[in-house]
Amino acid sequence: MKTVLKIAWRNIWRNKLRSAVVVCSIFLGIWAGIFVSAFSFGLNEQRKESMIRNQISHLQIHNSAWLDQKEVAYTFSATALDAYLNKDPRLEAFATRTKASGMVSSAHYSGAAQIIGVNPNAEAALSHLEEKLTEGEYLPEKGRNPVLIGRALAKKLEAKIGSRIILNFSDGQGNIISSAFKVKGFYKEVSSKMEELNLYVRQSDLQTLLGLEPMQVHEIAALLKDDADIEILQQELQAIFPALAIQSWKQLSPELAYADDIMTQMLYIIIGIIMLALSFGIINTMLMAVLERRKELGMLMCVGMSRTKVFSMIMVETFYLALLGGPLGILFAYYSVWQGSKSGLDLAAFSDGLASYGIDSVIYPSLPTSFYWGTTAIVFIMTLLAAIYPARRALKLNPVETLRTI
Amino acid sequence: MAIIETKNLSRHYQDGDHIIHAVDKVNLQIEAGEFTAIVGPSGSGKTTLLNLLGGLDSPTEGEVIVDGKAIHQLKDNALINFRLQHIGFVFQAYNLIPVLSAQENVEFIMLLQNASARERKTRAQELLKAVGLEAQMHKRPAELSGGQQQRVAVARALASKPSFVLADEPTANLDSKSTEDLLDIMHKLNQEEGITFIFSTHDQRVIDRASRIIYVEDGQIKENH
Repeated sequence: MKTVLKIAWRNIWRNKLRSAVVVCSIFLGIWAGIFVSAFSFGLNEQRKESMIRNQISHLQIHNSAWLDQKEVAYTFSATALDAYLNKDPRLEAFATRTKASGMVSSAHYSGAAQIIGVNPNAEAALSHLEEKLTEGEYLPEKGRNPVLIGRALAKKLEAKIGSRIILNFSDGQGNIISSAFKVKGFYKEVSSKMEELNLYVRQSDLQTLLGLEPMQVHEIAALLKDDADIEILQQELQAIFPALAIQSWKQLSPELAYADDIMTQMLYIIIGIIMLALSFGIINTMLMAVLERRKELGMLMCVGMSRTKVFSMIMVETFYLALLGGPLGILFAYYSVWQGSKSGLDLAAFSDGLASYGIDSVIYPSLPTSFYWGTTAIVFIMTLLAAIYPARRALKLNPVETLRTI
Repeated sequence: MAIIETKNLSRHYQDGDHIIHAVDKVNLQIEAGEFTAIVGPSGSGKTTLLNLLGGLDSPTEGEVIVDGKAIHQLKDNALINFRLQHIGFVFQAYNLIPVLSAQENVEFIMLLQNASARERKTRAQELLKAVGLEAQMHKRPAELSGGQQQRVAVARALASKPSFVLADEPTANLDSKSTEDLLDIMHKLNQEEGITFIFSTHDQRVIDRASRIIYVEDGQIKENH
């Protein structure tokens, strides 16, 4: 076997340029494939994280009736849950929310609004709302009816810090409530749609206007320290509070969960397609090598080299080409992804488009380590498949025909 | 006892509606130690006969018995292994492995026989010395002249300690001096070590050295002396 390995190694360097082109194409193909995969994976992860951090959290708890119809009347008492969650060390943060759908209007604009009553401190810890302020101040402890609005909405309302806007919504009995709120600050979101729709007020103000008790809420949102605990905690809470609807982010946003589930499979398909294209290049090169050496291969069989050894030699030559290009491509891709994950890729030119999908303009490529192993396996399998055809062609050579004479 | 024996050996080819009798009912015996030339005009069937004797081609009819073994009955892998153990080949176009040195080319056959590294090295160096290439052992074929490459091919053919060596037009691509040198080496190996050589050739210098001449025409042996 040692000599077969040695001959195979020397054989691939008979035509240096041709072998170098194949090795480079494998290297570049795999590097590009992995990097594009890392970009896609990072983009999806950021979108998922953004959605979870800014909108849905890991777990949400509602009155069961709220799931069918988001009526103001469908509240629940958060007293017992608040006490339970406060003691649970698995939680990173949680916050209660009171919600009302209505209209926002100023002298210049009127539009739909989702009014979210929050506990300022708890919400700051959960969704980092305070850090999203671009202008003004966060919801103060005191003062009458403060409100935070998104930059996009402020532009439409032509509102400034200190401006008064009118919020209209109905309470649980169907009474229309109209109340003036004072703009305290503008916040930014990755999604401009969210900036236009969501307004944040103090939970106590909204509860008062809706005629709700202090612990009557519409929603509890929670973030966990470890993703692995999400389902466990969900089941625990469901067992303790069977009347409430406790949903994980995957149930709250099935499309996000589906994208997350199929992402890895899609990336493997990308790599598989790239390797399929590369394997045709490998087959072509090795087929040329076999046909060029018909006479020599025929001689080897004449003098006593078994067909198995001839087959092995061509297989080994193919593997050498893949083993030179493949691992180099994977290692270089690993380094590129590692560098990219530190500095990020700034796509400022596309920031508006990305923002509409809830994605930040700086993308941090990332890939699970298992993907590199998976790619290595794909390279190995595709090389094996690509090697078989040229090797079989070598096997089918008739020694007498190749030599013409002995 | 004959090391090669053929009985009613025939090889026919179909060419459209015609059947070509490349080898036609040949009965032949070759004894150990012979220095035999198979001669005849182009298309007479001498190369086909050599291919049949070497187990490279299968007969349409008849038998080929080498060292007491009916090789026409052997399956593919068994035949390859038989060739490896019993027959040495020298080709008209040398057909050395271009990526190996002269010594590695000679060692290669022994490697296929699973000889030890030490045995391979010692025998390869002895054989290359015997064909006058001790100074060129580490050169690759491209660095050797045609005559030197053919001498490496002779050393390679002998490396497996075969029962006999088949050589098809071994001097066809060589100049006069190289031809004489090669014939001197092969003749010396035949005389001193009793190695059996069977040539197909047009070359009168080879014919002049042969101890036996088999004249083939239209696939049949016309003269045998």
